[in-house]
Amino acid sequence: MVAFRSTDTSGRTSGLLLRCVLYCLLALGLIIFDKRYDHLGKIRRALSFVAYPVQLAVASPFEGWHWFRESVSTRDTLRADKARLEADLRVAQFRLQRYEALEAESQRLRALRENTAGVADRFIIGDIMDVDLDAFRERVLVDKGASQGVFVGQAVLDAGGVFGQVARVEQYTSEVILISDPAHAIPVQINRTGLRTVAVGTGDTSRLKLPYLPTSADVQAGDLLVTSGLGGGFPVGYPVGTVSRVRRDPAQSLAEVDIQPAAALDRSRELMLVWLKPSPVPSGAEAAALPPTPAIAAAPKTAAPVPAKLPTQKTAPAAPGTNQAKAPVSTQGKLPASPPAKTPVQAAKAPAPVKNVPAAGASHP
Amino acid sequence: MMREEKIRRVPMLTSALVALALAVIPLPSVLDQLRPDFLVLVVFYWSIESPRAGGLALAFFSGLALDVINGVVLGQHALALTLMAAWATHLRLRLRVFSVLSQSLTIFMLLTLYQFVLFWIDGATGNPVVNYGRWLAPVIGGAIWPILSAMLSRARER
Repeated sequence: MVAFRSTDTSGRTSGLLLRCVLYCLLALGLIIFDKRYDHLGKIRRALSFVAYPVQLAVASPFEGWHWFRESVSTRDTLRADKARLEADLRVAQFRLQRYEALEAESQRLRALRENTAGVADRFIIGDIMDVDLDAFRERVLVDKGASQGVFVGQAVLDAGGVFGQVARVEQYTSEVILISDPAHAIPVQINRTGLRTVAVGTGDTSRLKLPYLPTSADVQAGDLLVTSGLGGGFPVGYPVGTVSRVRRDPAQSLAEVDIQPAAALDRSRELMLVWLKPSPVPSGAEAAALPPTPAIAAAPKTAAPVPAKLPTQKTAPAAPGTNQAKAPVSTQGKLPASPPAKTPVQAAKAPAPVKNVPAAGASHP
Repeated sequence: MMREEKIRRVPMLTSALVALALAVIPLPSVLDQLRPDFLVLVVFYWSIESPRAGGLALAFFSGLALDVINGVVLGQHALALTLMAAWATHLRLRLRVFSVLSQSLTIFMLLTLYQFVLFWIDGATGNPVVNYGRWLAPVIGGAIWPILSAMLSRARER
């Protein structure tokens, strides 16, 4: 045995060096290709299918232990749980009755106004596959892709609120850009006042910002922000976050507003990929006549007169000079009175210049 | 010779798979920082004990598996692990006659260099991780090396 090894080592040293250099060059090539050209998605995914059984094998005993603990929980615990769950269910059902009536009413009103702003229609659950650890690129990989009908620009929610949107679609996976990515912007509305603006990511999963609000805007810490549905990418009325801090410097024309995202951007494992319900009263001719604007090309007709009206009346006098108020000023007189034949066009074009800059990167990366 | 290699490959791949499972097993965050690089230690063991069975290939593909599981740039762990496995292979004749303490210290040095290569690639790809916790893993790894190598030797003899 010893003799075998010693003869073998004398012959192996150069071979070892050669193989080491070859493997290292291969690894360096992988690093460069993965970092610079981003062409290795398929290889990575193929490898992750190899790694998946290992992860599954590791996870299963823990799931088994949970199952075991559930199986041996005492009768009293189960009874208490059952009572609590029944109470929860009663409350939820009670709320749901009201919600259904409200939703029906909302649908009727939307139909009346030919407002086609999307309502979440159906969704699939996607699991996050691997989190991209790059601090300057907040994206995650989800295990649903083109084969499940996922499309670029699709809204992604989690249990708490809006999570992001789909940036790239592969056959079985897709890449989701988080709302906290610096290249992402989402049209929002302050729930308390109806004030519309755009929330932009900061690169920090615990913070978004509202960079386009004037210092005089009616916004306070604790205000809930919901999606406004402008732009058509996101369904209306889902929570985006709460205002955590407002700083008004009298010398500046714009306020600094920070938002705490409602979605658990750094903790969620399961995401909902949402399809928006098509317009209840489709207005095809009008939609075809609209000029395509880059940020809201998905559904330019979705400019909502309803949210547009409220903020115009409330904020335009307060902030006539800012970008945000520019467009509503021009349509201010018409909006409440005129039928929505033309106003959606103007309203749709109005916010576009404001949010184009950041949102363009998000919608068409 | 072929028969001998075949006999050696089964425990090699099995131990690598077990080490990979240990690398992804969920731990509380405090312990997670102290988790030694099991797969790296296993690769070192096979590089030292049976270099003919393809230790470098094992190192390269184990590294790729770690890259995929950790979701970092592809090739990072592969490069670091290949370099260190090659060095371990080069040192193997000396390592076999070392005392347990010297072996542990050598393994500690290799693990630290391994972490340093990872650290360097992290920085070069614009994703620096400035956390001192990562330098603890080599210490633990060096400390458990005697136990791990004894266990692997027993598994190999069987």
